[in-house]
Amino acid sequence: MKYIPRRPKTNVNVTPASPLRELLILTGGLAAITVGVYLLLGLVVDWVAPRLSGDLERKLGVVFTRTLDIAPDSSQNRKWAQGLADRIQARCVNLPYQFKIHINPSKKVNALAFPGGNIVVCQGLLDQVASENELAFVLCHEMGHYAHQDHLRGLGRTMILMAMATLIFGQDSGVADFLIQSIGLAELNFSRQQETEADEFGLQTLHCFYGHVGGSTDFFAKISADHNPGRWGHYFSTHPANERRIARLKSLARELGYDVAPVKTLPAFLNVQQ
Amino acid sequence: MYDLLLILGLIALGYFSGTWVEKRHYRSIIQRETELLPLPAVTFKTMDYAPETIAGSRMVTGSAVISIDYFKRFLASLRNIFGGTVKSYESLLDRARREALLRMKAEARDADIILNVRIETASIGRTAHRRSVGCLEAVAYGTAVRLKKTSAAP
Repeated sequence: MKYIPRRPKTNVNVTPASPLRELLILTGGLAAITVGVYLLLGLVVDWVAPRLSGDLERKLGVVFTRTLDIAPDSSQNRKWAQGLADRIQARCVNLPYQFKIHINPSKKVNALAFPGGNIVVCQGLLDQVASENELAFVLCHEMGHYAHQDHLRGLGRTMILMAMATLIFGQDSGVADFLIQSIGLAELNFSRQQETEADEFGLQTLHCFYGHVGGSTDFFAKISADHNPGRWGHYFSTHPANERRIARLKSLARELGYDVAPVKTLPAFLNVQQ
Repeated sequence: MYDLLLILGLIALGYFSGTWVEKRHYRSIIQRETELLPLPAVTFKTMDYAPETIAGSRMVTGSAVISIDYFKRFLASLRNIFGGTVKSYESLLDRARREALLRMKAEARDADIILNVRIETASIGRTAHRRSVGCLEAVAYGTAVRLKKTSAAP
């Protein structure tokens, strides 16, 4: 037997295919399937949310607020904000909720609506507001989310997303993070519509409570001044770009014939922090 | 948002660096394979050498560890969902096997033939930490046989 040294001309063990093409096909197929299932389940959530019993929602609320870092109930800020919310609800808001204000010590300028009427106000927002009307508008806006059941829809969809991603990819794979991020962006688009509707509800409630809508745009004017999201930033923000929001509120106030009058000052203990 | 950019960045980095490293590695593999071509490495267990013609024999091993890059891992985890051949890992295994064989041959430069060549693979670093990028190892081993200079090859 003679040994003839030579190298094989082709390599049968490596498929000569473009990995980028494979990536495109696989991600495309996966994205299409996931988005389809997600949209379908989103419709289910929209159907279930208004039919959820108040009792079940209260229980959900306990679960969610337990995971949040919340300042003690006895704080002066919380009592004042709670009092304001109570007065707004007593006079102008007819919703089957016992609103409870929680103060989160984070510096973020934000407020969140959790199930069961639990409104979480970040300390950063309290530090920023300059008048009672300004905070009242934020509270009215959050109440608007409850009026439209947005808080349940939002949480329901987020939970579906998390559950799906974890189910498909396991708890900590890169693909799960990737999907949550990329679908999360599309979802923000959906909730911008909800924000606008909540703004409308907030404006009407504010007018009912004070008899004018002074202070309703102050808050957004302030954020837009020191927090410009940049050219692409608005795409990633949950809340519609602040300038557009202010314009929308102003035109709505004109449409409805709402006046602007001087705003109420804050209690002394809140002003101290500024 | 930043997590997404980070993941996309890692995938892009994995793609570009992985492709570059792979091309370079293949160039080196082909060059060394051509160089070591005269030394046969076969899977036969025995050959018909007369005992007096053998100058010596010993075991030679070569091992290579090749890392998976982020892009290949991402592609493979997508493949895990739909099924099919995991093309992105094929070149890694191919490189590991050939590199191990080359290293084994390099260890046996003075030999005339390597008999009973076996190749085995193992994965490294998957069990230690679930998120770590895995590696795969290929080990090639065989019996290097050196013949006395006077005798001719069969």
